[in-house]
Amino acid sequence: MRALKALILGGCSLLLAGCAATPPSPEALAANDPYEQTNRQTLILNGKIDHYIVVPTVGVYFFLVPDGGRRGVHNFLGNLSLPTIFVNDLLQGEVTRGSQSAARFLINSTLGLAGFFDPAQKMGIPGHGEDFGQTLAVWGAGEGPYLILPFLGPSNPRDAAGLAIDTVIDPTNFIPLKQHLWWSAGREYFTVLDLRAATYQTIQGIQRSSVDYYGSLRSLYRQLRDNEIRNGRPAAAQDLPDF
Amino acid sequence: MGSKVTMNMILRPALLALGLIFAGLAPAAAATTPAETFVQDNMHVGLDILNNKSLSTDARRTQFANFLLSLTDMKRIADFTLGQYRRGASPADLAAFDTAFQNYAVAVYQSYFAKYAGQTLKVTNSQARTADDFIVATQLIDPKDHSGQAPLEVDFRVRTDGGKPVVTDFSVAGIWLALEERDQFTSFLGQNGGNLHALIGHLEDLAKQYRNG
Repeated sequence: MRALKALILGGCSLLLAGCAATPPSPEALAANDPYEQTNRQTLILNGKIDHYIVVPTVGVYFFLVPDGGRRGVHNFLGNLSLPTIFVNDLLQGEVTRGSQSAARFLINSTLGLAGFFDPAQKMGIPGHGEDFGQTLAVWGAGEGPYLILPFLGPSNPRDAAGLAIDTVIDPTNFIPLKQHLWWSAGREYFTVLDLRAATYQTIQGIQRSSVDYYGSLRSLYRQLRDNEIRNGRPAAAQDLPDF
Repeated sequence: MGSKVTMNMILRPALLALGLIFAGLAPAAAATTPAETFVQDNMHVGLDILNNKSLSTDARRTQFANFLLSLTDMKRIADFTLGQYRRGASPADLAAFDTAFQNYAVAVYQSYFAKYAGQTLKVTNSQARTADDFIVATQLIDPKDHSGQAPLEVDFRVRTDGGKPVVTDFSVAGIWLALEERDQFTSFLGQNGGNLHALIGHLEDLAKQYRNG
């Protein structure tokens, strides 16, 4: 399942990179978004999937699973990501953050009952995210053109490749095949529910207050990614435009 | 749907609430630069307005809007958000856009102010981009949040080239609002043949929606 996801990611990237049906506008080229028209169509498609399938499913999830249960699911999924985060911390030379990830995994997997609870946070060991896309950025890879991937949303060739690598190096891939398929499917299902539940109001707010949701999402994605790559450290003030 | 990264991190409502974020009462570390002093000193004024229960909702909104407008350079921000489309616009259209943008920005910020009343803002440091352009870093601290999460990082861009300090942009978690507004406005104009009247109409509709909402 995970290898299939990696293949889909790679295929989508290649497909979108090859799309050149409509010449990009000068504004799109200036925004490094040469596939804007295709991206806009994909965003509409993703919106339909979200509206007709994901959001109703999240509604059922909220109805059936109480707040404490949903928090437990969130913690469990976050704990499963920690080995991959740890690897990327070390690949970026972030030893302190790597030790935090290792400590969180150890503490939450044991005292946190397989990760359903997060005692590490209460002990003052904060969580953070890392992924191979960020690692590639730290190593000097440029982001490439903006992409909206089917099902997966905003991305770019570097981050899509990073996501594929993370999918392949995930330790849960070592679960024997029969159980692995069920395990992977279940994990993906709850990951989508957890993510969408957490961002429902935020996405709604963006859609409500934007004059151009697509443009807003593109800007937010890029700025957020840059902030993540810097691990929250301030950007150089000179990088801001003059006005 | 969206990528894990985007979904986890989009905080635009928090970002848009920054107009109200002059809500700091923490006896913060002493501000040492004029820009830091400007941000720190004005927190108290903003907090007083946000927490003033003796005011009616309308009166509180009006006072906060006046407060916000006195501290920000809305025209400069508005001009910036038009990007390359500013050059081809007539003075009358630019004036209409400035008005529409101001009403939109104030309406959007005010719709979120309740969420942040009661929180504190602490100035942590600042950096000078140029002799009259500063980035003041602060942290937004919720006294009721015991989750152990790191406080939200909020930055203010302060310009002093016009004689008095004014805020020209805000950022939350690394997202600068004026940059985001420029990106979406120019994207809108690119999709609509550069039609500034369409953008103005859209902003006016959104402002009305927020005021009534």
